[in-house]
Amino acid sequence: MIRIEHLTKVFGGEKVVDDLSFVLEAGTSTALIGPNGAGKTTTLSMLTGLLKPTNGSIRMNDTQDIRKEIGFLPQYPNFYPWLTALEFTEMTGKLNGVPSRDAKKQAERVLDFVGLTNDRSKKTSTFSGGMKQRLGIAQAIVHKPKLLILDEPVSALDPVGRREVINLLKQLQQHSTILYSTHILNDAEEMTDQLLFLKKGQLVEQGSLKDIRTKFDSFRYKIQFTSKEEASLFATQSQLPTTVEESYAFIEIKDGFPTMQELMSQLIVLPFSILKVERVTMTLEEIFMKVVGQ
Amino acid sequence: MKTFIILLQKEFRESWRSFKFLWMPLLFILLGITDPLTNYYMEDILNAVGNMPDGFSLSLPDFVPIDILMASTGQFQSIGLIVFVITIAGMINRERQNGTATLIYVRPISFFALFMSKWVVGSLLGILSVSLGYAGSMYYTAILYGSVDTMSFIQMVMSYCVWIVFATAVALMFSAIFKTAFATTFTIIVIPFGVMIDSLIGQYWHFSPWKLANYSVQLLSDTHNEYYIKTLLLTIILLILAIIIGILFTRKNAGTTKI
Ligand SMILES: Nc1ncnc2c1ncn2[C@@H]1O[C@H](COP(=O)(O)OP(=O)(O)O)[C@@H](O)[C@H]1O
Ligand SMILES: [Mg+2]
Repeated sequence: MIRIEHLTKVFGGEKVVDDLSFVLEAGTSTALIGPNGAGKTTTLSMLTGLLKPTNGSIRMNDTQDIRKEIGFLPQYPNFYPWLTALEFTEMTGKLNGVPSRDAKKQAERVLDFVGLTNDRSKKTSTFSGGMKQRLGIAQAIVHKPKLLILDEPVSALDPVGRREVINLLKQLQQHSTILYSTHILNDAEEMTDQLLFLKKGQLVEQGSLKDIRTKFDSFRYKIQFTSKEEASLFATQSQLPTTVEESYAFIEIKDGFPTMQELMSQLIVLPFSILKVERVTMTLEEIFMKVVGQ
Repeated sequence: MKTFIILLQKEFRESWRSFKFLWMPLLFILLGITDPLTNYYMEDILNAVGNMPDGFSLSLPDFVPIDILMASTGQFQSIGLIVFVITIAGMINRERQNGTATLIYVRPISFFALFMSKWVVGSLLGILSVSLGYAGSMYYTAILYGSVDTMSFIQMVMSYCVWIVFATAVALMFSAIFKTAFATTFTIIVIPFGVMIDSLIGQYWHFSPWKLANYSVQLLSDTHNEYYIKTLLLTIILLILAIIIGILFTRKNAGTTKI
């Protein structure tokens, strides 16, 4: 278990990270969610020991040097171009105390895991972004750390690379404690026990996905028209507060009002066709905007 | 100790794969053999080039071996030293600036081990280059001008190596304190320019690290230099100081690595 208390970082008089307190339970994964500039990287850097907190503490059950227990993947990992993937992973393993006789085997094993078996003897200078990200994961897990810290592990990847990395992380999740940052909510949705919403350095909301949903979720109607014009036309005529996105019109449901019947009675008189009407919940993306948006 | 060995291995690998252990010694060998050869063949060169006005006769001074070794030392102290210290002054800060340091700094390493691994490899690169450079100079000097006492020669080279090891420590210290542009500037001011300044106005003091190179060559002559030992000791003390400051700043500036 890792306990973070009153973590604060001031850069040039500005509180970039402002009094964060949270707990990472062993075996769980936590997402640190916030828009660009919210302080995610700064927070993670303090956890890795790269940055000294201005204030506050990070404690891991009777561990003196927290660097021994963590694996870190920066947002844009940089490797020595003159080392091969295997040499680099082996070296980083040894630096983390993997015994010399096991280091190479262990490095090969994690490179296998991330799918770099065939590229392990290539210099890292030849690697693509996706390969670097996978090598980044390999070096972060080579020493079997207690806590895996990942800074926006999939943000820079294309959809295929993103899927691959998410699958790797899901596997890792089964037997490690993970803390990762993201500004893309879909990632969080798939693999997270605890969400921490960060806004301008402050923790504005925290809890499980379910907690957050219950707290912020609201229902609304989503009506699909054949064109944006028709959706807009409906919005101007409608007596209900309506927002338009492409060919969709949205109507908030407050305290059960309007009912589906009431909505139907308005729709039925429209002179143009309606493709679909449904009652929907907010996407995580929308909750995110609600929590950390303006 | 274990992390020191691993980091040392890494530094050697880097220097080896970037061919530093090839081109740096080659540079010093070239600088070393230039003076004995050009001085000896100067008359022939001038004649071959021709175009000498009639009646023009050039009287070249008669050099003795120590003059030639002094001249080679002058080459090392200018071009050689500039190239060498610039290489060293980028060893720590460049890794921070390109972010490669990040994946090292998040591991349980000591900054003592980190700094020392770079200092050891830098120093060995310098010692190898300088030794081969002097060997090249001595080889042609011995053929063309005559020999010197072997023990004194070895003493001179070792003594000059203390200076190179000092220069390595100072350049690394600046590398730990500043970003590359500033570190390079300060290093060039303190080391090669320092040598120049000391040779211009150095008559006002008798011992300083910047005099060590000249004093080293004087070990070949019979005259006893009462300031030599003090200069040597001062250099070693400042060297240790540079290492201590360098280690402290390596740790202090660890957070400036690109994340
Ligand atoms: N070394 C630094 N010096 C000054 N300001 C910084 C430094 N690092 C980050 N910041 C500022 O702190 C804020 C948070 O940055 P960061 O932690 O990188 O956010 P995120 O990772 O959430 O995008 C930004 O406004 C950024 O400009
Ligand atoms: Mg960031």
